[in-house]
Amino acid sequence: MIRYVVKRLLFAIPTLLAVLTIVFVIVRIVPGDPAQTILGDQASQEALENLRRRLGVDKPIAVQYIDFMQGALLGNWGESMVTGRPVLTEVWAVLPHTVDLTVAAILLGALIGVPLGTWSALHRNAPIDYATRIVSLLGLSFPAFVSGILLLLAFAIELRWFPVISAGKLDNPVDRVRNLVLPAINLGIIMAAYVTRVTRSSMLEVLGEDYIRTARAKGVPNRAVVWRHSLRNALIPVVTVVGLYLGILIGNSVLTEIVFNRPGLGKLIVSALNQRDYTMLQGLMVVYAFLIVVVNLVTDLTYGFIDPRVKHG
Amino acid sequence: MSRGAAIAAPRRGFVHALRELRRAFNTNITSWIGLGVFLAIVLFAVLAPVIAPFDPYEQHIIDRLKGPDATYWFGTDAFGRDILSRLLHGARYSLVIGSVATVSAMIIGSAIGIVSGYVGGRVDLAVMQVMDVLMSFPSLIMGLMIVAVLGPSMGNLIFAIALTAIAPFARIARAPTIVIKQRDFIEACRALGFSDLRIMVVHILPNVMAEILVLGTLWLATSIRVEASLSFIGLGLKPPIPSWGGMVREGFEVILDSAWLSIFPSLAILLIIFALNMLGDGLRDAVDPKLRGGE
Amino acid sequence: MTTAVKAGAASTSDTPGPILRVESLTTSFRSGGAWHPAVRDVSFDLARHETLALVGESGCGKSMTALSIMGLVPKPAGRIAGGHIWFEGEDLTQLDDEAMRRIRGDRISMIFQEPMTSLNPVLTVGFQVAEALFYHRGMSGREADRMALDLLEQVKIPSARRRFADYPHQFSGGMRQRVMIAIALACRPQVLLADEPTTALDVTIQAEVLALLAELKTAYGMSMVFITHNLGVVAAIADRVAVMYAGEIVEIATVRELFRRPTHPYTELLMRSIPRVDRNIAELETIQGQVPSISAMPPGCRFAPRCPLREPRCEAAPPPLAGRSGHHVRCVVRAGA
Repeated sequence: MIRYVVKRLLFAIPTLLAVLTIVFVIVRIVPGDPAQTILGDQASQEALENLRRRLGVDKPIAVQYIDFMQGALLGNWGESMVTGRPVLTEVWAVLPHTVDLTVAAILLGALIGVPLGTWSALHRNAPIDYATRIVSLLGLSFPAFVSGILLLLAFAIELRWFPVISAGKLDNPVDRVRNLVLPAINLGIIMAAYVTRVTRSSMLEVLGEDYIRTARAKGVPNRAVVWRHSLRNALIPVVTVVGLYLGILIGNSVLTEIVFNRPGLGKLIVSALNQRDYTMLQGLMVVYAFLIVVVNLVTDLTYGFIDPRVKHG
Repeated sequence: MSRGAAIAAPRRGFVHALRELRRAFNTNITSWIGLGVFLAIVLFAVLAPVIAPFDPYEQHIIDRLKGPDATYWFGTDAFGRDILSRLLHGARYSLVIGSVATVSAMIIGSAIGIVSGYVGGRVDLAVMQVMDVLMSFPSLIMGLMIVAVLGPSMGNLIFAIALTAIAPFARIARAPTIVIKQRDFIEACRALGFSDLRIMVVHILPNVMAEILVLGTLWLATSIRVEASLSFIGLGLKPPIPSWGGMVREGFEVILDSAWLSIFPSLAILLIIFALNMLGDGLRDAVDPKLRGGE
Repeated sequence: MTTAVKAGAASTSDTPGPILRVESLTTSFRSGGAWHPAVRDVSFDLARHETLALVGESGCGKSMTALSIMGLVPKPAGRIAGGHIWFEGEDLTQLDDEAMRRIRGDRISMIFQEPMTSLNPVLTVGFQVAEALFYHRGMSGREADRMALDLLEQVKIPSARRRFADYPHQFSGGMRQRVMIAIALACRPQVLLADEPTTALDVTIQAEVLALLAELKTAYGMSMVFITHNLGVVAAIADRVAVMYAGEIVEIATVRELFRRPTHPYTELLMRSIPRVDRNIAELETIQGQVPSISAMPPGCRFAPRCPLREPRCEAAPPPLAGRSGHHVRCVVRAGA
């Protein structure tokens, strides 16, 4: 197992470099002259020169690339043009909010999606199966801001069960949870929809496997056939989808944070956009690059825990 | 109708691929519902200038922020503009951006996938690795980065959304290409002196058409969602253009008093995505129960 | 048919009554809105300590017969449509799911054809062997593990103790089939159904696994239904043989009798298609035509369309399974002769 973990960690390095390279291409090469983009058309030549020097975009592209990669890898992600604080500090400050939201959403998604998908598979082609399929398709059709707005209208504005602005204090546990519920449900149900669908189809496939017949042939009770013999095998493709969904979740959390006015990475990026805080934006893209790699790594490691063939292979 | 069976015999071109899709279609009611709703939305969008009760930009200052009534079925916004008219016109932007982005990605992605799979070897390996990295970027984040850097415009939106969708099409087109490439009839074509291009277009493309079209339907839904999301964030088309995501954004600012402003465009976005997903999902089940993807 | 049953029971049994009696079993599958029998009117007795071979081409209903006995006919596409399966005085077809589950893997076990896919990839081999003990004997984890280890040693897994916690993908095909045997034998079943247990294995491994099965069958005092399409294997392991064709038993006799006097034309053709070292491959006879599809069975003898001895009366009505002294044949032409 340790060897597997080390191997995956080593594999993550080239991925990280590749993802960072794409970020570099997007922020430095695609726009042409970032200084012009930031200052607009009316900027003086002198101001442009100054900004170019500050951003380091006056150097040759190869040097810029090496500087960028070095900075990114060493955690030197630049500082905000607006507040002057390092990007890392800003990110660190909102990270607990983002972690709360993400973890809660994943738990919710898995806890709803896996049993529902299994149940649906066990009642294949029964009315309950059709209903589950349609509802989960509807669920994954929601852009996160649409579901967020509907939840906000229903539970915060109409029923007043939860605050409209979910910026709870971290040191007050009750407050923290109260502010987490709606955003987490918002992200969680969309994920639950994905998980339900994949669990269902993967479960159907597994239930037809020879080893399930073997389990029945030795008199294993139905419940254990489903939970012990089928589910773990069925979860292997589910992990892939959850891994893919984590990417979507990163995007959806931006929308969720906007709708629920909740601090987090997404809110940081949106305020950087509004304030044209170019260096902050660039730093946050590096943060997202790391997140993407971490998500892929976590997905790979999870396979190792579920599927013994991966671990030994 | 497994993938293996679908590839077992060389098909007779696009007509056959389409016929295959149609057959798949007839077996699924949700596909029909999805198609019906989607076509209805397209029809409304096309006829928007004729059927919209008002000009989408016309401001009725005395009727600002009116709730739904007999004159303004879906109410008016903060400038007194008719929401229904704006929704009808907005559908055009969603559809155009979504479909141009999806179709470009479909063409570029499939071309990359087929050529890469057909050429094989190290080129294929390198191309697919680039595609894998591209694919690890969530489409919304990728779109956000690009539009943030390039600035919001229709062209940039289309570019950003298309870029995120290329990799999935490349993957789906490549897999069957590799299988077909090794089949005897391709060998025979080469022996007969057909050019590689001709083999790819005439013999391989039709075999991957059905799957590409299914994925296209699902990605049209995703593209429309990403466009709406970017517009909601403020990276979409500039006001006063009535893009659906932008309308939700404007409505969201006054959600405490005038909820309908955000509700109607939200439901419109949901409806079109749900319709496309029903269509795509039904097609996917029918064409190949094992085909995965769409995100 | 009743004569067949009685005669079969008397042939090799040393205690009164067969351990398993299948009576007019019909198992049907639904296709295109109608039910079609995949197993039709199958009857046989299995005496204590006896090995009965079910022989036939793939799709002749031999596996489905075994699955019917196990109560594992895939639902909802298939069902037992008629007949009885008597086991120790109980009619298995009348038992509910829970009662049937308690018999499966305890008193009746089954081994399957595909060792590569028949073991669960995410559970350790040791657990998979111990599991039946856990459910049927109520053993604690440790007891079951100890016993499972003992079983793995009995099926001759080398260094079984070290491999106990390994996963199936770490075993070869032959070793996996040994594990399957250990699973099946865990609760010392009275009846073992072996569905082509060696077909998927290399020839040398086949012989080892067959020898092991025969040895354990004697050691455990089991009765066995051995399903195969290979008459060579039948000669090596079985006491009696039932030849199946298109869902029916067409001939049943002791191995000796069947090999000496194959009577049904289909059996005869099967015999002639056994590859033999003293014969050239080119001389192998293949049977003309195809097995009729499940939904388009001929009204008379099911073999008639392919039969070299076909007469008009063959196609008039389904022939009965008839004969004497344990040798029964479903053929109006030969039975009368």
